[in-house]
Amino acid sequence: MRPDDRDLEDEIRSALEMSIQERIERGEDPESARRAALEEFGSIAAARDAMHRVWYSRWFDAILMFFQEVRIGLRSLLRTRGLAITVVVTLALGIGANAAIFSVVRSVLLRPLVNRDADRLLYIRQTARGIGTEDLTFSMPEIGDLESRVKSISAFGDFSTVDFTLIAFGREPRVVTAGVVNGSYFEVMGLRPALGRLINSSDDGPNAAPVAVLTHRFWTTALHSDPAVVGKVIRLGPGNATVVGVLEPSVPYPAETEIIANVVTSPHHLGATMQKERWHRMTELFGRLAPGATLEGARAELKAVHASMVHAHPESYSPGARVGLDVKTLRDQLASPARTILLLLLAAAAVVFVIACSNVANLILGRSVRRESELAVRAALGASRGALRRTLLAESLVLCVAGAALGLLLARPLVAVAARYAARFSVRALEARVDGSVLWLGAGLAVAAAVLLAYVPRLPSFDQSSAPNPAAGGIRITPGTNRRLRIFATTQIACSFLLLVGAGMLVATLNAMSTANTGYDMRQVLAVDVPPPASGAGGEAADKFFQEATRRIGALPGVDGVASGMVVPWRDPFSAILKFQFGFEGYQPANGEENPACMFRPVSPRFFAVLGVPIVAGRDFTDHDRPDAEPVAIVSQSVAQRLFPKGEAVDRHLWLDSRTGLEPQPRRIVGVVADADDENVVQVPTMTVYFPWRQLGEPSRLFVRAASDPYALVPAVTRILHDISADQAVERPATLEDVRTQVLTPQRLNAFVFSAFGGIALLIAVVGVAGVLAFSVGARTREFGIRLAVGCEPRQLRARVLGEGAAIAAAGILVGGLGGIALAWVASRLFGVAQMPGVLPIAGAAVLLAAAAILASLLPAVRASRVDVLQALRSE
Amino acid sequence: MTKTPDDPRLELLQGTLDMLVLRTLQWGPRHGHGIGQAIRRQSEELLRVETGSLYPALHRLVKRGWLKSEWGVSETNQRAKFYRLTPAGRTQLIREQDRWSQLVRAIGRIMNPAPANEE
Repeated sequence: MRPDDRDLEDEIRSALEMSIQERIERGEDPESARRAALEEFGSIAAARDAMHRVWYSRWFDAILMFFQEVRIGLRSLLRTRGLAITVVVTLALGIGANAAIFSVVRSVLLRPLVNRDADRLLYIRQTARGIGTEDLTFSMPEIGDLESRVKSISAFGDFSTVDFTLIAFGREPRVVTAGVVNGSYFEVMGLRPALGRLINSSDDGPNAAPVAVLTHRFWTTALHSDPAVVGKVIRLGPGNATVVGVLEPSVPYPAETEIIANVVTSPHHLGATMQKERWHRMTELFGRLAPGATLEGARAELKAVHASMVHAHPESYSPGARVGLDVKTLRDQLASPARTILLLLLAAAAVVFVIACSNVANLILGRSVRRESELAVRAALGASRGALRRTLLAESLVLCVAGAALGLLLARPLVAVAARYAARFSVRALEARVDGSVLWLGAGLAVAAAVLLAYVPRLPSFDQSSAPNPAAGGIRITPGTNRRLRIFATTQIACSFLLLVGAGMLVATLNAMSTANTGYDMRQVLAVDVPPPASGAGGEAADKFFQEATRRIGALPGVDGVASGMVVPWRDPFSAILKFQFGFEGYQPANGEENPACMFRPVSPRFFAVLGVPIVAGRDFTDHDRPDAEPVAIVSQSVAQRLFPKGEAVDRHLWLDSRTGLEPQPRRIVGVVADADDENVVQVPTMTVYFPWRQLGEPSRLFVRAASDPYALVPAVTRILHDISADQAVERPATLEDVRTQVLTPQRLNAFVFSAFGGIALLIAVVGVAGVLAFSVGARTREFGIRLAVGCEPRQLRARVLGEGAAIAAAGILVGGLGGIALAWVASRLFGVAQMPGVLPIAGAAVLLAAAAILASLLPAVRASRVDVLQALRSE
Repeated sequence: MTKTPDDPRLELLQGTLDMLVLRTLQWGPRHGHGIGQAIRRQSEELLRVETGSLYPALHRLVKRGWLKSEWGVSETNQRAKFYRLTPAGRTQLIREQDRWSQLVRAIGRIMNPAPANEE
């Protein structure tokens, strides 16, 4: 339907022919007829364009033209396939890394929660800065006080966890951690059921029927989304409970559990300790802002009510502990631990992108210098500056779009890796997916890179006198191009330097952590969780169980000792809660100070021998330290030194501070052991008080010292424990060394991820430096030829090129160092963190980069010194 | 083509070219050159249509559906593109003629007011 340009030209030509014919018939001679007709007609091109414009809009033309440019670009890139592939892969790495990290950042920091009106959902917690705790949970009496008096919170939801033995769904009995919530919890959290119903106010109180809700993850993974679970009766701890529904997929916070039950399922929650004791803090508290209330208003009111509550119960809140209250939205609470690490990752990914772009810019610059004569020819034929730029833009767009496409393909597996990694900092990372917004990001980065790349090459000069002679055909490298090449190479080195220093810092930290002394002999000790059995047996039964287990496991061949306690170092999250204030004989706290808080650890005899903690003075606990014997205790060296500076600790007495609510009778200190920190992976001086658990406490952890491979003992140990009590759960056997490794995983991963970024950066930078020098050497063949001809030693030429490489590296390291200082300054102003790297990472990164740069310049240097003099001089 | 000040030819009024083209095609198809010649002849050489505006105008009219074009052979045995009125073009011609005569009447009244008092 639309006529094409050929049709239009045909029409014009036929009109001209007719006009000429007419004139000839009128008697004009053919030559002047033709001239007259042409003159009468006017500009043929203008007429054709005007006709063309009737049918085609300017936009259509522009797009068509651009596609043509793209086609030309594609063809010319196919001719330089190696270059094109390098560029595309480099860009893909840069774009893929950014897309992956961005996905995770988006899901953790930016995406809304599934919870209804998540902006009005608050996370409330107590702080006790006086004893160094930012995160203290609540006790039921405290929650009652807040609930009855705070008006700006429409409802409070509470959540605590308890270990139940679960017997259900036709599976083996096993111990699960279940959430226990009040009736308003799900309403406050703004969550809906995926199936059935959730726990509501009718499930509150001691007389309600026991009910349980399954979490979505448990339902889909373990139960294959069986819709028939609703209505099933399960055995949960001491009693039965009915499954009433399945929770929708949501962030597993405050704890990842399989089951969430109402209060009546847990005897502990109904007991007097839970209900009456102000110190018994094990409950997380959430609140929903009342209509019209603001976060600031609610915070002020909560703080005021909390302060008056603290004031009303001086016996429970010592002034020295400085118990306070803090409120933030759940969203902030979820995001905050991950924010710094994610922003760091984002920065690292951005740096990698900059490096990738610089490198690609260099490659493109080199190529464009090589084709300068082609561009000059096109310019001479009348192509405008804009047209030439458009050609370059089309080419770089082809490259960048290909890079982005490959990068986004890469992003999918990268997101999976990055999400698993970031999940250690925020549970929300597990929701990370590659989606539309990432496509936009990729497209944006590709266009940014394309525009940058199109403006990198110098266009041929339009000043005729200095225009390169198209006929010459040789490569002439201008000082401007050379400078640009070097600037890009320097940028790469600078950015790589930053990344390498960052990675070095993390590796150094990790190294310090993993080699730090812990106070334990970790390799030979197997730790096993032996949670209290389903029957809820304590006291006598537990005593008998552990006596029997210790005796029989101790008799196994290859076992050097068996002990029991309550805390597996670094693994048990409640270890920090077992911290009480103690009074010490002969120690009077200074005015306004508190009795010191010490770790409280009930252990069995031989605990110190099994875990390799040396006894410094006095004796170990023995089997004679029975409940009816004299109350005794052992203290760590820090306690002895701080409170008994004259070395008189043994035979003095200590007692649990009356406010703990535990028995306050004085105990004689029978021994002093070396410090052992079971909370921090890097040991700090720790005040610990050990009791024999037969006198106070209940063991749930077993420690076995093995002569050879500890894991070889696991089947025998499990068999013995099951033999003593058939439904006893036996869980998580691991050596202390492996427990610690597990705990260090986030640091290990940080170090690994940043090292990976650093490695990629280093690789790209090496390619970049080598490329620049190779190009510069190639372009100066003639110069080298002349130098050799006038008697220059090849060795000197080699040194010269190596020197150039070293100069680029030195400049890059200098710029990177200055940039790093500036960054650290910005970071300290923005986030208040100013961790400066040690000398070792900086020096290491500098040496590594310098070595890499010199290595990269070796090949070009050798090439420079091997220039064939005659060939070089003949080349022009 | 530039015009000299003493050139007797007239500048076409804005918008009248389309009407003239439609009019010349009233009695049958013509090719582009023929249309130009017809306008010149019938205006007794007073109107001369620039080819630079005639051909785009022809294409505009085709695009609007008032003309149809097809390649054919001219009276002098040359290949040429012929244009003919479509039914829609015929209706358009009538409409434009009406408008034109109204315009001429209106302008005429302003330029040559009637001597008598016609309230």
